[in-house]
Amino acid sequence: MLPQQIIALLIILIFVIKLFTQKKKEIINQTEFFSWLIFWFIAGLAIIFIKNIDGFLAELGVSASGINFLFYIGVLILFYFIFRLRLIIAKLDRQLTDLTRHVAIKEAEKKYQK
Amino acid sequence: MLKIACVIPAWNEEKNIAQVIKNVRPFVDKIIVIDDASKDATSKLAEEAGAYVIRHLINRGQGAALQTGNDYALNLGIDIIVHFDGDNQFLAEEIKDMIAPIIKNEADIVFGSRFLEKKANLPLFKRLIIYPLAQAFTRLILGIKLSDPQNGFRAMTRQTAEKIRIMNREMAHNSEIQTKAFSYKLRVAEVPITVIYHHFGQKLSGGFKIIKDLFIYKLSK
Repeated sequence: MLPQQIIALLIILIFVIKLFTQKKKEIINQTEFFSWLIFWFIAGLAIIFIKNIDGFLAELGVSASGINFLFYIGVLILFYFIFRLRLIIAKLDRQLTDLTRHVAIKEAEKKYQK
Repeated sequence: MLKIACVIPAWNEEKNIAQVIKNVRPFVDKIIVIDDASKDATSKLAEEAGAYVIRHLINRGQGAALQTGNDYALNLGIDIIVHFDGDNQFLAEEIKDMIAPIIKNEADIVFGSRFLEKKANLPLFKRLIIYPLAQAFTRLILGIKLSDPQNGFRAMTRQTAEKIRIMNREMAHNSEIQTKAFSYKLRVAEVPITVIYHHFGQKLSGGFKIIKDLFIYKLSK
């Protein structure tokens, strides 16, 4: 195993430990915990079997090396997460507007009932 | 007798709000000012001028303020709601022209237009660049066939206000209301209005923001 692979696996291990700590403190729920656990597990496997990925890509006729391929996939996943976050923020923003409106109308009703 | 309310969204409008309320008063039964978390004396002055004042604790944008005004007007049992700007750029006497098609039962919603008979002193850049672009976008992408794609002066029946819920909290609410009016197959009318520009208003970047907001709204529904 190459030193770079060992470093990458150690980084993943730190994230997995952090994940278990968050679960223990109930910061994240069961679904989030398992989603991230599976994500890091697949990332770990990809690093361990990086040579096999190289071979697989060569067989497919892709010129990129395994690590480059993982990098491209990583960027795509990041873009997907940013997109999802943007939608979640838009939803929260709408809820904040609803809440602001609810409070404003209740206050006005109280004020003008007097 | 139909009850008419004027909904005025206002943000830091202490210079104009009292005059706007005074101008509008002869033409409507109730005036509802939505103070969108102004940092100045907008609320105080509007209240002194005799309007109902609803205050947002945090700034949520003009679209959000209009929906708050609609909700409150519906609670008051209003029959016709008029949307009017708080910066004194519309003429209050034109409210009677705006509500006329509704009173005659010819329309469910009436949009003001600067591009019909009357002339607005529209800045050149707006007239030649921004509005043709906005018009092309609303016609081609949204399928709205109105002469003025971005006009805040409108009137609607109670039933229309119940159907159209404004979800875009900022400036994209104009296109949203127009799109919904057509998709709900409401009877739409346009009335020529006058606009007096005190400042430049919407910039080209504002137009792109409207398109972005409409896009995000579509995706996050």
